[in-house]
Amino acid sequence: MSLEIIIDWLQAALRWAAPLIIVSIGEVYSERSGVINMGIEGIMLFGALTGIAAGFYLNSLWLAVIITAIIGLILGFAVAYLTVSRRTNQVVTGLMINMVSLGATDMIFSMMSETRKARVATFPAIFPSSMTNIPVLGKLLFAQPISTWVALILPFFAAYVLYKTRWGLNVRAVGDNPKAAATAGLSVIKIKYQTVVLSSIFAALGGCALSLAEVGYFSAGGMTAGRGFIVMAACVVAGWDPVRTALICIAFGAADAAQLRIQTLSSTIPYQFLQMLPYIVTIIALTIMVKRSRVPKTWGAPYDPKDV
Amino acid sequence: MELLKKNKRFEFAIFENLSLTTGRTLFGIFLGLLASGLLIALSGVNPFVAYGALFRGAFGSMQAVSNVLVRASPLLLGGIGVAIGIKAGVWNTGIEGYMYLGAIGAAVIGVLDLGLHPGLHILLCIVCAIVLSGCWGAIPGFLKAYKGVNEVTATIMLNYIAIYLTNWVVSNFPLVAEVGAFYPMSKQFQATARLPILIPGSSLHPGPFIGIILCLILHFVLNFTPFGYRTKMLGSNPFAARYAGVDSRKQILMIITIGAVIGGISGAIEVMGLKRRVFMEFVTGVGYESVAVALLAGGNPLGVILSALFFAALKAGGATMSIETGVASSMNSIIIGMCMLFVIGFGVIDNRKLKKIVSTDKDPENDIAAEKEGEK
Amino acid sequence: MDENNFALQMQDITVEFPGVLANDHVNIDCKKGEVLGLLGENGAGKTTLMNVLYGLYPPTEGRILLDGKEVHIGSPLEAIQQGIGMVHQHFKLVDTLSVIENVILGIPTKKQRLDLEPAKKRLLQLCEEYELFVDPDEIVWRLPVGKQQWVEILKALYRDCKVLVLDEPTAVLTPAESDQLCRAIRRITADGRSVIFISHKLREVIQITDRITVIRDGKYIGTLATKDATQIKLAQMMVGRPVTIERKSRPVIEDLKPVLVMKNVNAKDDRGIQALKNLNLTVHAGEIVGVAGVDGNGQRELAECIAGLRKPTSGTITINDKRVTGVIADPTFVGFIPEDRQKTGLVMDFSIADNLIMKDYQNAPYAQNNVLQYTAIKKHARDMIRKYHVKTPSEDVRVRNLSGGNQQKVVIAREIDPEPVLDIASHPTRGLDLGAVANVHDTLLKERNRGAAVLFISAELQEVMALSDRIIVLFGGEIMGELNGEDADQEVIGQLMLGHHPEN
Repeated sequence: MSLEIIIDWLQAALRWAAPLIIVSIGEVYSERSGVINMGIEGIMLFGALTGIAAGFYLNSLWLAVIITAIIGLILGFAVAYLTVSRRTNQVVTGLMINMVSLGATDMIFSMMSETRKARVATFPAIFPSSMTNIPVLGKLLFAQPISTWVALILPFFAAYVLYKTRWGLNVRAVGDNPKAAATAGLSVIKIKYQTVVLSSIFAALGGCALSLAEVGYFSAGGMTAGRGFIVMAACVVAGWDPVRTALICIAFGAADAAQLRIQTLSSTIPYQFLQMLPYIVTIIALTIMVKRSRVPKTWGAPYDPKDV
Repeated sequence: MELLKKNKRFEFAIFENLSLTTGRTLFGIFLGLLASGLLIALSGVNPFVAYGALFRGAFGSMQAVSNVLVRASPLLLGGIGVAIGIKAGVWNTGIEGYMYLGAIGAAVIGVLDLGLHPGLHILLCIVCAIVLSGCWGAIPGFLKAYKGVNEVTATIMLNYIAIYLTNWVVSNFPLVAEVGAFYPMSKQFQATARLPILIPGSSLHPGPFIGIILCLILHFVLNFTPFGYRTKMLGSNPFAARYAGVDSRKQILMIITIGAVIGGISGAIEVMGLKRRVFMEFVTGVGYESVAVALLAGGNPLGVILSALFFAALKAGGATMSIETGVASSMNSIIIGMCMLFVIGFGVIDNRKLKKIVSTDKDPENDIAAEKEGEK
Repeated sequence: MDENNFALQMQDITVEFPGVLANDHVNIDCKKGEVLGLLGENGAGKTTLMNVLYGLYPPTEGRILLDGKEVHIGSPLEAIQQGIGMVHQHFKLVDTLSVIENVILGIPTKKQRLDLEPAKKRLLQLCEEYELFVDPDEIVWRLPVGKQQWVEILKALYRDCKVLVLDEPTAVLTPAESDQLCRAIRRITADGRSVIFISHKLREVIQITDRITVIRDGKYIGTLATKDATQIKLAQMMVGRPVTIERKSRPVIEDLKPVLVMKNVNAKDDRGIQALKNLNLTVHAGEIVGVAGVDGNGQRELAECIAGLRKPTSGTITINDKRVTGVIADPTFVGFIPEDRQKTGLVMDFSIADNLIMKDYQNAPYAQNNVLQYTAIKKHARDMIRKYHVKTPSEDVRVRNLSGGNQQKVVIAREIDPEPVLDIASHPTRGLDLGAVANVHDTLLKERNRGAAVLFISAELQEVMALSDRIIVLFGGEIMGELNGEDADQEVIGQLMLGHHPEN
């Protein structure tokens, strides 16, 4: 295999990983505070559709991003209300949110028939095109759209917030021992709302990055194809650390990019088996890493403020 | 006190653990329908007209009722598969994958002209479906029980793998794939491998009745056998189950595998009774719907019968609604999902109020701690 | 007396839980610089009262005054801001965070950046001042329980509390640590802060406090100066009648046959730390062996190893010459009353009848041909309810709805009634009221007299001494000493519990 193919593959790996990383940032916070936001799969779908629709009708990428974030915020409040205030089962809530999202995005998309064929403007690269001529790095990094750059920088910022700020400390405390956090004077409910809403906003933005940066269109029938669940797996595998989670996401992105490339290169392996690759990688990674990961103590458990 | 005296085995408590009353469930469903109605109105259709069409589509004629039953078949089987998982404390969300594997299993035998007696051919198909889906389900079962891998993530990943596997089988697998088809599909099932149609002129196959019978059997198994006792003990308190000598790993592996086998049967019935071929992505969405069915039933097998029929009516009616009023066909899953979100949203009530009924001595700390344990 | 002398007054506090009056017009007041003892049995309402003070429950009735001014405390944050510090019986520490992170957690601040250095400095000053030394950078779960207690106290002092509430602080301390705590309390009150010391142990309350308020059944019984108090007087106030746990008389059983034999058993706890070290123990038929020791010195692991719930890393355990390799689900062989009945011993959502067959559900007469026989199961349940005096309207009631004492009766009925050859009773009286405690003691003694081998684990020295034929003392996973139950000396046991071999 030539160097060119490898660079091309790595470049695609980063591009495929970018939406996953963006989603994972929010999910790490939410799960660190004890809430598994399983609705991210569906919220990504909403983000993907909103991005395309807003980009198409308003013709502005930045407005599209803002509107997507607002949609994420609204859905985030719905998830937070159910899982935090009503203490519903987080798995079930997420699955039902996904179900509704899948149906609703399909329905809305079918009503916007004019966007069906349209390819809208996608995220631009931020560096001048001359820089893409730099060997190796030029193609690998400087040709990347802005969303990839955001995804590469964000994990470090997220890690700083989680480990080096008051709020990050609060989030970690709430997930490990909400009663202790409450007796120390924190509002556990408020913090959980913040992380869940944040994770939903990031999920929507990740979906938007998927449709606007990567493919440039929306397709009905669940175009996120389990990426939300892959992100959740990445969190577990990486032990809920933002930077490590991002690395795992890049690994999944690499598997995704690899299968597309092998498809075009070789015809001996049926392409359907190559398409399985990212999912198989996820399962194997989970199996190897799950026991070593330190789970937030109240991961997935509802919190009742009246319990002391 | 009266409430407590009632034999718990026969009370119609959807969602036993959370003390959800039937009234709340119905109210949740009502709100779900209301919210979905708003969405229908937003899409430019009079919701009353739409729901009217839905109702006619579900109950308007014999044909409609048989449609409901046909659609209930995968929901009944999928629902009961998820429900026994809930009783054991695992979320078996892999129904879609099991159905694909079951369908593949049935197709491998069913499209071949083996010159067998119909009954035997059908039986062979089902056995092959059971074996394939059972092995498939044993993967997440093993991973959950012995490796601690979250079953939701594992099964959903496996669902996608199953989808691609099916795609390959129906487009490239030489024995099964129909060559030169406009859409990837398997060859047609042999006449000897098709399930009989019960009412001529309709598409009513025995599937829904098999589903109902399985629900009844599992109701019995869960409530009146040591196996069921063990399963429920594991689901409500895994520590106590260990203390009582239950091999919880084996039990989890078995429960997930049983769910997979039922899912496999469901997939086989779908292709042998209704579709006559295996198509690419022929069961999209049933996985989530099965979770909704099991959830509405609170993991209770008898409840599964009711909730599966309810959702099947929504789906069958929804199809009519979609045709008659132009509401998007995906409205179905929105309605189901919305109903469930409202049901679970209203489901959690302050358990505290119910807890103290017989508590006579002064030990509030203890009881509150216990409550918390219970919620987990 | 001058009003302003009181740091805290709680007047007519009433808290009603559905069906239970947890606090019924309780009054306490605490002067500045004073240690007030709050004394009452388990479940008398002490903790509830303090939770009201800390803003965790709103009182149904009553008012709270701080420095003579009425205040409303709606949340822990408000309580902290009003100068109330609380060390809960079950520590409220995030054990994955470091000491210093725990100390500053929740203190309102404008600065988002986490700057730990100044906080560490202040914490170290406090450590010096009160002689409660901890390393600010240590992760909490690595600290021994005693040190965690210091962290809780320092956390409150760091927030400059005026009133410090200590809820059963000595339950997890060794006597030496208790002394250290006493000295720290003296220093704290010397600053003009007040301490409310909650306990049900008479001796230490008399040692530490200036005045004592007693509550019983959620009601205020009275307050008296410690110098006027005697143990007997306090005990009477606490339980409403004179009590002492007296050594139970018992028939002598000759010819003791060894039932449980443990040889060189080593085991690790859940964190992977060595919890049992080369333990050798034999329990004979017809004797009660009491296991004394401060909580967390291997008692839990000892019980779990014998019951087969935990695998020893080395050594052998045999019961009646049968090697223990896994969970023993044969109720006629081993009865095990676990430490945490709600978490381990019961399925809270099962009915009483179902809970009573937990270890027997596969066997006749409860199951025949793989079908559960509910007629037999329910009849058995009704018999047990009658025999063990479980207070319940019927056998179909879920165990969740029973009181703690009645839940314990269900466990005891299940574990003891099949007449096993070995009984393991792990803290069987914890959290029970006195009547229930006496009941448990009688049951265990009856078991002994029947000829069962009984291993009785308890942190309450009094009951170990009252009940045991032999006493072993666990410290750090080792048997520090073995005493004859008949003439065991409390002082000696106390020394052994600390890991000291008393001079011969």
